[in-house]
Amino acid sequence: MSAINENVLFQVEEDTPETPSAEESVVSRKYLIFITDDLRLGVDAEYVVEILNTHTATYLPMMPDYICGIYNMRGQIIPIMDIRRRLGKPSSDIESLLVVLNYNSTQLGILVDSVEVMLDIPNASILPIPSQSAQKLVSGMCTLPDGSGTMLVLDCDQLIPHE
Amino acid sequence: MSSNDILDMYIYETNSLLEQLETIVLDAEKENTFSQDNVNEIFRIMHTIKGSSAMMEFDTLATVSHRIEDMFFLIREGTMSVVKEADRPALFDVMLHAVDYFREEMEKVEAEEPLNKDVDSFLANINSLIAKIKGEEPAEEPPAAPQAASAPAAAPAPAPAANAGSADNASAGAGNPDFPYELRVFFDDGCGMENLRAYMLITSIQSFCAEADFLYDPAAVESDASTSEQIIDNGFLLMFKNAEDREKSIPVIREAGSVHSYQPHDYVPAPPQEEPEEAPAPQAAAAAPKAAAPAKSAPPAPAGANNQQHQKESLISVGLSKLDQLSAIVGEIVITEAMVTASPDLKGLHLDAFSKSARQLRKLTDELQDVSMSLRMIPVSNTFQKMNRIVRDMSKKLNKQVKLTLIGENTEVDKTIVDSIGDPIMHMVRNSMDHGIEENPEDRIAAGKDPVGEIILSAEDTGSEVIIQIKDDGAGVNDEAVLKKAIKNGIASPDVEYSHKEILNFLMAPGFSTNQQVTEFSGRGVGMDVVKSGVESLGGTVSITSEQGRGMITTMRIPLTMAIMDGMEVSVGDSIFTIPINNIRSTMKISSADILHDSIDGEMVKVMDGYYPVVRAKDFYNLPSGTDEIEEGILMWLESGDVSYCLFVDELLGEQQIVVKPLPAYVNSFDIKNFGITGCSILGDGNISIILDAGGLFAAARGA
Repeated sequence: MSAINENVLFQVEEDTPETPSAEESVVSRKYLIFITDDLRLGVDAEYVVEILNTHTATYLPMMPDYICGIYNMRGQIIPIMDIRRRLGKPSSDIESLLVVLNYNSTQLGILVDSVEVMLDIPNASILPIPSQSAQKLVSGMCTLPDGSGTMLVLDCDQLIPHE
Repeated sequence: MSSNDILDMYIYETNSLLEQLETIVLDAEKENTFSQDNVNEIFRIMHTIKGSSAMMEFDTLATVSHRIEDMFFLIREGTMSVVKEADRPALFDVMLHAVDYFREEMEKVEAEEPLNKDVDSFLANINSLIAKIKGEEPAEEPPAAPQAASAPAAAPAPAPAANAGSADNASAGAGNPDFPYELRVFFDDGCGMENLRAYMLITSIQSFCAEADFLYDPAAVESDASTSEQIIDNGFLLMFKNAEDREKSIPVIREAGSVHSYQPHDYVPAPPQEEPEEAPAPQAAAAAPKAAAPAKSAPPAPAGANNQQHQKESLISVGLSKLDQLSAIVGEIVITEAMVTASPDLKGLHLDAFSKSARQLRKLTDELQDVSMSLRMIPVSNTFQKMNRIVRDMSKKLNKQVKLTLIGENTEVDKTIVDSIGDPIMHMVRNSMDHGIEENPEDRIAAGKDPVGEIILSAEDTGSEVIIQIKDDGAGVNDEAVLKKAIKNGIASPDVEYSHKEILNFLMAPGFSTNQQVTEFSGRGVGMDVVKSGVESLGGTVSITSEQGRGMITTMRIPLTMAIMDGMEVSVGDSIFTIPINNIRSTMKISSADILHDSIDGEMVKVMDGYYPVVRAKDFYNLPSGTDEIEEGILMWLESGDVSYCLFVDELLGEQQIVVKPLPAYVNSFDIKNFGITGCSILGDGNISIILDAGGLFAAARGA
């Protein structure tokens, strides 16, 4: 299944030549931009497996409170994380979407409020977050090319620790 | 087939042959003799190794196996009585040494390292043994002697004669008056490696014809690649002493690959027969002195060849990843089947034909599941058998008398587990041999024990895990000595009082070795912690129990990573848990009056004649929902290993066969295993149930 989804993403990438050809040399990556708790976060589209709008988490005891449980995605067991709680906010009752990520072959579903758009963002335009900022789970930030706002880049390394 | 595949095949085949060989030798040693069957088997094994090693151009291996083959040729001809009693230990030693030697070389082959070229001393060993065997021979079995003596020389001796013959008048049919029945084989044009193909033919012929009964030309096919050209030009000439043997080899040659044609003809001036392939049988029959002989002897030969082929086809090696994929898909099918047949859309409908087909489907998927699960399961017997060898070698070297008892060696576990428990078990057996069993039998007798030490190796499948125990009846662990050592090594602190159990745990700390001296076998201070980390990497645990003077028991518990299991589904509020059926002793409804309280807020209940602690699943796991009223729920009496307790849950949902799925790695990083949660399973309706480990749950509850 994941192969199909990767395919889809790949196709999207093939469509990109529409972007100004003058900037061909600019190295850019695709980001999936989503909203959670009024924060606009982006995650490297390479890590996104799929987006689901229905899900039922099975409660798993003895886990940190930001893990809502585990979910059966077509036979694969995926832990679900409430990103709000992970960021130290109270969880909300808003109907949420599940974005399934695969990072370093670890799969994790994150609950987000809504998904906005998939965008190409040049690597150069991503700036480090101010060192004074206490914002967790973010590795950088950038102003969106259309000027609609600022995006925080979700740091998968922090989100999905690995050995 | 690429050359790499051939190499893999060679390594695999040789290693399995070596395993066979080792088992035979070890068994035979106990009897102090080789049965004729054993001798034949060893002869065959060595022969195969010789052939394939020569084909792979591992000359030293071929030489060594050739000599051993020669030795067993002598024994085969003269039965085991040619080996004097006094020489037998040496024979067994040489054979085991040979097994080790080949194993080492196989490892080198696998690692693509150069092979050990210096085998002279080993060969000398074998040769001296052969000489001893021969020295005895003429007296006992005169007729065997000349034949046997010529056997080792069989390959080189005829070479010059045959070579000369073929060079001079190959087309006319060289020959040797002693071997009048010739057979000239031509291979397909450009098939390559003619010399090796020829060698393969020889090997197959040897399976029914004694080596001394036929010759071949060119003789050096095994080692000399340049003979290929000779074969291309003149064909490969086989010369038989008896016509029957030639008749038998015709079907073999016909079966062999890349054979273009073959011509039988006799050395006695007979016109060469020109038509190959067309009518070989009648020709051959005419050539044979007795017409009846080929008719009688021919049928068994093709049957034998077919048999051989059949054996080869009945085993294939499959990549583990493919099997994993298969089991994953089968697991999906089983679940999907349940989803289809129990679909809510069908509720209230009476569909006779559908239910009938659905039942049939269920039966088939169940079978499919069983088969796919069994694919990865192999018995632990191989690993266990290897310990025989270790115990044997060490009892000799350490001069201790020890017998090894194997229990439950047919227990089947996942292939990955079998592969990784070998080393830990070996360490523990060595440990028991070296440190456990007493130095002197007198000490054992004084302690009221059998002078012969015993090590018991057992495996047991409890349904959720495999329990492997290594038990010795030796001296046991000396707590004081261990503690002293631990303090000396800085693992323990001198000011703290340690319990017996804690002291035993020091044994598994890295860098700990209690033996005064580092020995060849153990005591490098890496043994026990290697065992521990090895087992833990499989998700298992190691525990040691010991009583001074009575021995030591090491228990490894390894979860069945991929298993199908019978479980009881229970609910606590909205959560569904699965408890392995094997852990459940009984379930009961009780009233709150039956609950006894102890001084530290613990609850107990009296079941039959004992008091058992009560663990409430809801409280222990902090579940958001579930009942607190004893009357509303149900009590399950669980047992796992030596723990026995009652678990309070809401409701029993029913027994079900489930596919165990490991929890995601991310989840496992939260040490959830320490709370008795070992895995999960997907239910028929797509929901997930959490599999509980009765032992782990109680350990966590008591610790909490």
